[in-house]
This record gives sequence, C-alpha cells and structure tokens, in this order.
Amino acid sequence: MSAPFSFTLPPDLAADEPPERRGIARDEVRLLVIDRASGQLEHTRIDHFGEFLRAGDLLVFNSSRTLPASLSGCVEQGPCIEIRLAEHLPDDSWLALLRCQRGDPFSCGLRPKMLVDLGQGLTATIRMRDEHIPRLWQLSFSKSGSELINAFYLVGRPVRYEYVSAPWGLDYYQTVYAREPGSAEMPSAGRAFTWRLLFDLQRRGVETAYIVLHTGLSSYLDEELDAQHPASEEEYFVSERAADKINEAHARGGRVIAVGTTVVRTLESAVDEQKRVQAGHGYTRLHITANHALKAVDGLLTGLHEPEASHLDLLTSFLPAEKIKEAYQEAVRQKYLWHEFGDLNLIL
Amino acid sequence: MNRLKGKYILITGASQGLGRQLAIDFAREGAAGIAIVARRADALERVAASIREAEPKAEVLMIAADLSSEGEIERVVATTLNEFSGRLDVLVNNASSIGPTPLPYLLDYPLEDFRQVLETNLTAPFLLIKKALPAMIENGGSIINVTSDAGRVGYPGWGAYGISKFGIEGMSATWAAELEGSRVRVNWVDPGNMNTEMHRAAEPEEDPTEWADPAAVTEVFIYLASEESKNINGQRFEAQEENWGRKAEAVHSE
Repeated sequence: MSAPFSFTLPPDLAADEPPERRGIARDEVRLLVIDRASGQLEHTRIDHFGEFLRAGDLLVFNSSRTLPASLSGCVEQGPCIEIRLAEHLPDDSWLALLRCQRGDPFSCGLRPKMLVDLGQGLTATIRMRDEHIPRLWQLSFSKSGSELINAFYLVGRPVRYEYVSAPWGLDYYQTVYAREPGSAEMPSAGRAFTWRLLFDLQRRGVETAYIVLHTGLSSYLDEELDAQHPASEEEYFVSERAADKINEAHARGGRVIAVGTTVVRTLESAVDEQKRVQAGHGYTRLHITANHALKAVDGLLTGLHEPEASHLDLLTSFLPAEKIKEAYQEAVRQKYLWHEFGDLNLIL
Repeated sequence: MNRLKGKYILITGASQGLGRQLAIDFAREGAAGIAIVARRADALERVAASIREAEPKAEVLMIAADLSSEGEIERVVATTLNEFSGRLDVLVNNASSIGPTPLPYLLDYPLEDFRQVLETNLTAPFLLIKKALPAMIENGGSIINVTSDAGRVGYPGWGAYGISKFGIEGMSATWAAELEGSRVRVNWVDPGNMNTEMHRAAEPEEDPTEWADPAAVTEVFIYLASEESKNINGQRFEAQEENWGRKAEAVHSE
C-alpha cells in the first residue's frame, strides 16, 4: 500500500524539541486550517482554534496517558536490548519491538523462551514473533495489572526518535488531560491544549468528550515495513458519557471534531450503520482511506504527517488527496514543523 | 456509613498518623478504592491490612514512592489511574516532611534540607493536583490539602515546614480560584496538634498525651471527601475547632 500522494519533507522542518523549549507556550504552535467545503487555507495559531468553532460543537479527545514504553534489559549471557512496547494484548501479553543494542539492531540471536532482565524485579519472556507484523515479538512480563504499570514507570523512558534533540522527560510526552496509562507514544494532536485553552473553548459553548485509544508505535524502524502501513491493533474504550455526548452533538446539528487520528479510528470503529456511536471496549485495525465514508466525525485536528505515514490515507477520507497535497506544499513553504512537538492542521 | 460509597481516593503520607487513619475511616465510609502512598512498602502493607480489617470489600492499592521527584509522582498517578480505570474522586495531600530534628532555626537550616522539605510538602501537592485533575474534571472531585497553624503563624524553629505550609495555604487558594465554576473543589484542613510519630519527633519535650488522637480529627475530611461538601470550594477548616460544621453550613447557604 502506498501513500495517497508524495511530498518532500526538508529535515529542518522536524520539530526536534518541545515548543516550551523553543520559547513558545504549548498552545502557541501554528495551525493550518483547511476548509473542507472550499479548500481554502488559513494560517493561525492553536490558541485561536476557538474562532473556527461554534457553540454546540463537540471536541473529542483521546485521554490515554503515554507510557515510558522504552525499556532496557539484558538476556543472561546474551544480548542487551531495547524493548519498545507496542500493544497490550487481550491475553495480558504485550507486543513489542526488540532492538539489539550492539551490531545489527534486529539480529542478535533473539529467540523464544529467552528471559530479559529489566531491573526492579521485572523480567520479560520472549514468546514468538507477531504473525501480522513480524518486526514485533510477543512478550510475557513477570508482573501484571497495576503492578506491571508501576514497574514500567520505574524502569522505562519515553520512546524517542532520532529527530528529537534530547531525551526529554516523560512529562513532555503527555497531554495536559492524560488519564489512564497505555499508549506507546503520545496521542500528540492534543499536546498543544492547555487548561487555559480548554476553559476558553468551554466559555465559547464548545463541548468536550474523552475516549481512550492506547496508541501503538508509529514506526517499526524499518522504512520498507513502515511504507506498507501495517495496521497494528489498538485497544479502545468509549464510555456511555462520551457516546451520549457525540450522539447528542449530531442530533442538535453540532459538529464532532476529532482531536487526533486515534479519535477518528476509535469513533469510526464504534459507530453503527445508523451513525450512532456505541459505548464499549474493543480492538481496532481499522485502516481509513479515501473510500471510507465517515459516519461519526465531521472534522479533524491533527499534526502534520510524514510523506509515507498511513495517517495521510486517513486524511483523504476528509478531503481529496490533491487538496491535502496543496495544503502540505503550502505548509512546507511556510516552514510549519512536523512530528509530535510540531504544528497542527485543522480540517473542518 | 456509606458517605463515600463508590468513591476512588488517593491519600499520600498514608503509612502512619493522620494518613493511615484517613485511609481506614474512608474505607469504613464505603470508599470503593483507596490508593495509599508512602515511602515504606512494609508500613503500607500494615495499613492495607488494617483497611481490609475495617472494610473487607475496599480495594486497596499500595504504592511505595518518594514524592520529592516528579517521575515518582507521575508513577503514583499513572498506577492509581490504571487501577481505578481512569477514575479518581478524592485526593488528600497529606504527606509532609518535618525536616531535620531537633528543629533548627532558619539561620542554621541546611539548604539541602530546606529544598527537600519544600519539594515534598509543596511541590509534590502541586504536581499531584495537576496530574490528578484530568481524572476529576468531568465527574467532579474533591482535593483536600493538609495544612497546619504553622502555615499562618511563624513559629521559631518550624523553618521549612512552616514555610511550606504557608505555601500550601496560598497554593490551595489559587487552585480553588482557578477551578471556581468547575466541578472540582479545593479545600484545606488544619488538623491541629495530633499525637503522631512525626509530631513527637519534632517536639520531644512536649507531652503528647495533650494532643488529639488522629481518629478524633477525621470527620471534617470525610465531610470534604463526600458529596455533602459538593458546593464548598476555597475554604480553610480547623479539624479540632468545634464550629467547623457550622462554618461549612454557613458557606453552603451563601
């Protein structure tokens, strides 16, 4: 599967540090607005987001908290590896990317039944390769439930990609409204929100709802594999309260605006044929493309995505690929910043 | 009984003294889940056993943590919200460090100790509130900060502890003002002199039998944790003051 359009992302447009460390506030990053009806572009900042909304609109956020999902450990008399958590499976095992710390990152003799010592009394047993995404391995940990989460926080660090300039602390990878932990990477479209902005939107009559989708990894550190956009399975929760708010917003003529592609995937997975979102807990592999008729979501606030990212497919369910390409070319010209610490794009 | 039915609660400094007693009394009032936090895991085990004895149905989560670092606070909140499926109704910021004993004058206070006391007594509650708020903002919630009369009066020798409590009073008032109109309320309580290990260590020359048992001061905390106080925000209470209940009524009827 290839991206719906291509463009070149100059390396200097990767946001390599959080906005707060670039001298601006979280809620002062830039916002490129694309009008779905006219295709017109507008340049502003996220703290002016409210000017594009109406009383009665509903913003839906993903409140999943980012885990310190990068763990380091060694096999006894064997290799030392980095474990990047990707997904918590229903049988309480985890899928993870295992990266050797010496030599070829993906070839250091790892095999099933090996025990990885992670410190603090935590060990992981390697089980087997994942059948969908062979780069991932299935692991069992020596702890479970909240005890395991507690242990992750004792030994882990946030997943960091090569374009990020320093090992920023976990707090830089959290949204201000994060609740239950479970995401391998920050649901980053919401990062720019501050409580000041949220309260400002509330005063304008804009409503908010929260769902949870625990994100997987955005890259398997393999360009060829990443380009194929293998759809990982992600766990989601939609509460009765959130489902009611979404259905009520549509009933009164309000628009439902997803903050992040994770929210689009969740709501489009949880919506029925009558376009009513159902509360529930599930796992989704939904891969949204131009052929997908959106039923639950009317608009999207999202980051700017890499040339090969599967998220570009998802954007084409909101707008023709050509329109998005024009907007992205303009974003490159205007030196917008990409990635989790970068600027945002509103499609409404 | 059952004034806290279904509530999920996080209490810091829960291994002894007031924190321990609050955990037990909250469980007796029907709290659905109580996360108890303190530095020593063995002490938490004993408190958990006392809670289960008082209320066998209570879900108890023990988290051993040193609240003087942000990473530890993130771990405490994340583990709690994992256990309680993203829900938290009540946060009691009770953990306090008294600093070096016997209590040195500020003139003699080592900087390292001064910083450590402020980290634990003031910065930790700030971070805990900040990180717990997302779980409270939709359903509503109650934040109760434990203060002291040393937060209003400058007592010689109470150095960093007193200064941190002055800070807690100001911080509580600021949080309450910022959250006015939301469903989250912030109040603070001076429990008065209590016969606790910490207090005995701070004032070894005083007669501890003149101080209240922690069990005698928990009523105002139960009130503030419960829905009975849902309209009370930004108020200071003195647990051993006979009139605290009337004060609450007066605020309630304003």
